[in-house]
Amino acid sequence: MGLRKLWQYRSIVKEAWDQTMAVATLLCGLHVTNTYLCTLGLAYGPSMLPTFNLTGDLFLADRLSTMFGKVGRGDVVLVRSPENPRKLLAKRLLGMQGDSVTYVVDPKNSDRSETVVVPKGHVWIEGDNIYASRDSRQYGPVPYGLVEGKIFWKIWPPKEFGSLGQSRMKDPDL
Amino acid sequence: MGLVNFMRQWRSGAKEALERTAIVAKFLCLLHVTNTYLCSPTLVYGPSMLPTLNLTGDVLLAEHLSPRLGKVGSGDVVLVRSPVDPRKMLTKRVVGMEGDRVTFFVDPLHTDRCQSAVVPKGHVWIQGDNMYASSDSRHFGPVPYGLIQGKVFLRVWPPYGFGLLEQ
Repeated sequence: MGLRKLWQYRSIVKEAWDQTMAVATLLCGLHVTNTYLCTLGLAYGPSMLPTFNLTGDLFLADRLSTMFGKVGRGDVVLVRSPENPRKLLAKRLLGMQGDSVTYVVDPKNSDRSETVVVPKGHVWIEGDNIYASRDSRQYGPVPYGLVEGKIFWKIWPPKEFGSLGQSRMKDPDL
Repeated sequence: MGLVNFMRQWRSGAKEALERTAIVAKFLCLLHVTNTYLCSPTLVYGPSMLPTLNLTGDVLLAEHLSPRLGKVGSGDVVLVRSPVDPRKMLTKRVVGMEGDRVTFFVDPLHTDRCQSAVVPKGHVWIQGDNMYASSDSRHFGPVPYGLIQGKVFLRVWPPYGFGLLEQ
């Protein structure tokens, strides 16, 4: 009598196990895609206006480009913050190692610009909205190892669905 | 008739091959996940961590949970991605966390001159135990915490050095 009950439990346990394994496999697949292929992200804040809205845009970032070193000037990249390792930033890459970058130090208060050479293994990132962005102008060039992905596609809001614009136009009068 | 038989055999053979490949793939996946998120063995070599680590190569076990949980502190030997060459991994000791003031010998081979620096927010100061032959934060400055990949906790090879590393 007890043996039959045990047998019934066995089939339920097996079915539960199979379904758990199926869910686990799906989550694994999602995680692998997220970490090594392509990831979804939400960008909010004023530092990348007008490319990204203040209230939040959904974007897709690919991980392969950074793994193979295929990011360059003008790309919007997903980078881990050098000031807070738990934060990810979306900024535009303006200088690779060896480049000489000229930037306006504090555009709200003065026109003073400075030039700096990006050291080996580092990149220079800036937000598109230089009036409200905390970036390499404040904390210096960022090691390439912190660049985690290249943002290539915006998926929300729907009217802005599509690839991002290329390098921002530099004002020739500056 | 012969064609149908052939197709049937080929299909069952392909199915079995696929199943075996799936098992191998799952095993490799598990190995990779363990390596990336739990614990992984690493071969380290070079003079910069003498006498703690040998010149010719030691196999160390590093765990990857501590950096994610923020449990890395002063005195830990860590695996960190080089800020100078993102393809290279360095093994150094964390000497100062954010906010600490570190005092270091600038160039111990030639001079006794000391310098002092405060580690900025979100960064760590790493130094090799062998300061005469180590390229570390004394040369490239404090390193962002986000570059730390793992914390070394055990030496596995050579056998006479098996065990925890000195503090």
